[in-house]
Amino acid sequence: MPRLLPVLALALLGLILFGQGAYIHAKALLAQVLLERAFRKTIATGHPVKPWRWADTWPVAKIEVKRLHASAIVLAGSSGQALAFGPGHVEQTVDAGERGVAVYSAHRDTHFRFLKEVAIGDEIDVTKSDGRTFRYRADGSTIVRFDQSGIDPLTDRHELVLSTCWPFDALTSGPERYLLHATLIEPDSGRPESGS
Amino acid sequence: MTIYDACESSPQIRLSRRMRIALFFLVEGVAALVIGLAALFLSFDPAWSAEQPHHAVLRPSEARSGSLLLKTDDGYADATRLGIDVDLTVSGPTVRARVTQIFRNPTKDWMEATYVYPLPSGGAVDTLKMVVGDRIVVGDIKEKQQARAIYEQARQNGQKAALTEQERPNIFTNSVANIGPGETVLVQIEYQEPVQQSGNEFSLRVPMVVGPRYNPKPVVQSVDLRADGSGWGAASTDPVPDRDRITPEVLDPAEHAPINPTNITVRLNAGFPLGEVKSHHHQVKIESPNNATRIIKLTEGPVPADRDFELTWKPAAEKAPSVGLFREHVGNSDYLLAFVTPPAVEQAQQKPLPREVIFVIDNSGSMGGTSIIQAKASLLYALGRLQPADRFNVIRFDDTMDVLFPTPVAASSANVGTASSFVGALQARGGTEMVPAMRAALSDSNREDPNYVRQVVFLTDGAIGNEQQLFETISALRGRSRVFMVGIGSAPNTYLMTRAAELGRGTFTHIGSVEQVDERMRGLFAKLENPAVTGLSAKFSEANADLTPSVLPDVYRDEPLLLAARLDKLAGSVEIKGRIGDRPWSVTLPLANAAEGKGLSKVWARRKIADAEVARTTRQATPEDADKTILALALEHQLVTRLTSLVAVDKTPSRPDGEPLKLAELPINLPAGWDFAKVFGERPRQPVQPAERRADTGDGKVQVAALKRPVPVATPSPGTVQLPKTATDAELKMIAGVILLTVSLLLFMFTRHQTMPN
Repeated sequence: MPRLLPVLALALLGLILFGQGAYIHAKALLAQVLLERAFRKTIATGHPVKPWRWADTWPVAKIEVKRLHASAIVLAGSSGQALAFGPGHVEQTVDAGERGVAVYSAHRDTHFRFLKEVAIGDEIDVTKSDGRTFRYRADGSTIVRFDQSGIDPLTDRHELVLSTCWPFDALTSGPERYLLHATLIEPDSGRPESGS
Repeated sequence: MTIYDACESSPQIRLSRRMRIALFFLVEGVAALVIGLAALFLSFDPAWSAEQPHHAVLRPSEARSGSLLLKTDDGYADATRLGIDVDLTVSGPTVRARVTQIFRNPTKDWMEATYVYPLPSGGAVDTLKMVVGDRIVVGDIKEKQQARAIYEQARQNGQKAALTEQERPNIFTNSVANIGPGETVLVQIEYQEPVQQSGNEFSLRVPMVVGPRYNPKPVVQSVDLRADGSGWGAASTDPVPDRDRITPEVLDPAEHAPINPTNITVRLNAGFPLGEVKSHHHQVKIESPNNATRIIKLTEGPVPADRDFELTWKPAAEKAPSVGLFREHVGNSDYLLAFVTPPAVEQAQQKPLPREVIFVIDNSGSMGGTSIIQAKASLLYALGRLQPADRFNVIRFDDTMDVLFPTPVAASSANVGTASSFVGALQARGGTEMVPAMRAALSDSNREDPNYVRQVVFLTDGAIGNEQQLFETISALRGRSRVFMVGIGSAPNTYLMTRAAELGRGTFTHIGSVEQVDERMRGLFAKLENPAVTGLSAKFSEANADLTPSVLPDVYRDEPLLLAARLDKLAGSVEIKGRIGDRPWSVTLPLANAAEGKGLSKVWARRKIADAEVARTTRQATPEDADKTILALALEHQLVTRLTSLVAVDKTPSRPDGEPLKLAELPINLPAGWDFAKVFGERPRQPVQPAERRADTGDGKVQVAALKRPVPVATPSPGTVQLPKTATDAELKMIAGVILLTVSLLLFMFTRHQTMPN
């Protein structure tokens, strides 16, 4: 059936494209399973554990929004490679629980898909690799350009920013980012903050 | 199928025409898709790098500093402005720097300003002064937590306070609380650092953008040691007392946007007749009061703080002085700073030992783009420099690793050719597993053969997180090998590079652009090909010395050996011994002839602290012991470190003026060359009376609230965080895939449907 060949080729192309798209999602899902495991080990051992042998990054924290039953393991760094596997802890920003702004960034269509569901007042728990959990409350959202985030990393408050691409349902990537701002409400442990 | 068959009624001829049209569109569509898909596949790898965060902000070395921004409830407004005055005095071997930052609040709200700024990594910050109105408040050194607490307390109480903290060894933060509406607060810090020397050239660098590049070379010197000792004391004394007599700069704010306008003045007292003095990145005018002194100022007044200031100077004589010796008496101790450049040229006639060089090249994904091009060019250059008597091998690694030859081979043209094509074909991809590569490079198969000098040249951007593991590998396995780190790209992990080179007893070379490959690699090869001065030791004949570094490193060609010591008495001499190639070498310096230096105790303490930090990371000392050492040194010498901060609190309540002040009142001492009116186009102190400070803001509650919630924080713009790209094309691809599948299914049915009746 030679005249079916173009049709088959078209179908094949469609499959490949679909497969590539699905692969990105599959990778994101599978990586989170491996990361979850590595993160548990990290908390247990106190050392960074790579999720797989050739990984270029390692889990540093876990973000959880209990109301939405959403959670994701955050990786060190926010390079494209890292973001394919999980949210990234943006370089040059503080760790969760510290004075300043901790910025985590992830893809809008995978790990931070839940971000659009997060409402003001929702509680966001961030567990660090030492096992301590910090609870933040979402108190605002902004839409900014990627290079004009307006995030002040030196603020004296204890803030958290979750960032992803905006608009949520766009198909191509643009310069706009959606930022969810949250402020620390309680450190899980009784460890005093510096200077208090 | 019956349905389709049922509606099958068109004549054959119409069908085939329709089919021809369909086929035409199909072929067109497929062609377009194939091209599109090919482009997609081709762009797949670059897509990784495109998704990487924009380096401009995430990598501090590329960040530009900019204006301070004021954060308000509604977003950001251009508000508190900052001017910077840098006043440097070079006294022989040391640089005393005074950095004045001007925080001004043009708004109607009370402000807290924070400014992050870089300093040279060897800089010892020891002084913080805050100028409020007519008073100068001098900061005290405190443990970091305690300093923070004092600052917070003052902030809550509405007092003016300033805090200097170390973020990294080369990045500091100044915070200033309670700048009233229209008020101006000056914060002044001072630091001490040694002058850098390489070969015949001395240099100093003032980093002005956050993310300075470390220059790990030790340093310094400036006085001729003559046989009769008459050359001692040539270093002139600190001319700071002259400062007020220096005429102010003529500034031209019209030509410069007032974004962190920075003014720089250097008083250069080299201690020897000066030859060429050159500023590399700024236009300067240079005055020469006498042949050993220069005064350097910016030609066009303040510049935006967006590039490092680099000044180099050379002696008028052909060769730089090869020995310098300086002393300072502080407290009960004498401090000594000695720098010795071992003779180099005399030894060059000697035939160097053949070398066994192991080249390691990082071709991981993070090296993508220009980094891999620089790395390959550097390695190809290095291969070209090998001598036939040398042996070599090449290792490339990402998350996998290849060793080109099973054992190191002679550098015959055939072998070098093989290696060159191997290197030429490398692509950047994959993860970064540095430790196995380092282990392979350090495994010395010819240990029995002492006729070869073994060198490892390691080209990488150092983008790894398990630095500690790499350090441990080097210290455990280095054997007789020496590790020369070559940092590639604009923002290599300099911490990793310097530390690895230090542990591997080699050097660190930074190649920031393709243009630098030739020059920097030539410099590296001068070090690789000439015998190092090894087995160095220093012995004091009479004095008890606390020497740093405690184990003297090897010194490569044209590098000076820098020693700092604390002595119980300044008597006798110090003998420095070592071997240059295979010839023993020694020099004896009589301590009594040392010239008076400035700030040597700080330089000594800073190096001791750096030593303790190294011991901490290499686990030669427990973290607790190292911290204890650092804290004791920092408190004794008043230095800002990881564990200590400087804090200044203006005890004067923010009340109507005219009351006696509790603190010592000093006359305002605005830095010379710095003119507020000319920087800002108006007078420094606004006619806002202290009396109005609180009254303006209503009752105390509002005040506290204003300080707490609406975030009265001004921030430097390098601070604003750049966000990574966070969208995948997954959905786009999936949708395109589904559309294609649907279309092909329809077409399939369509063709099927028309072929069936046949």
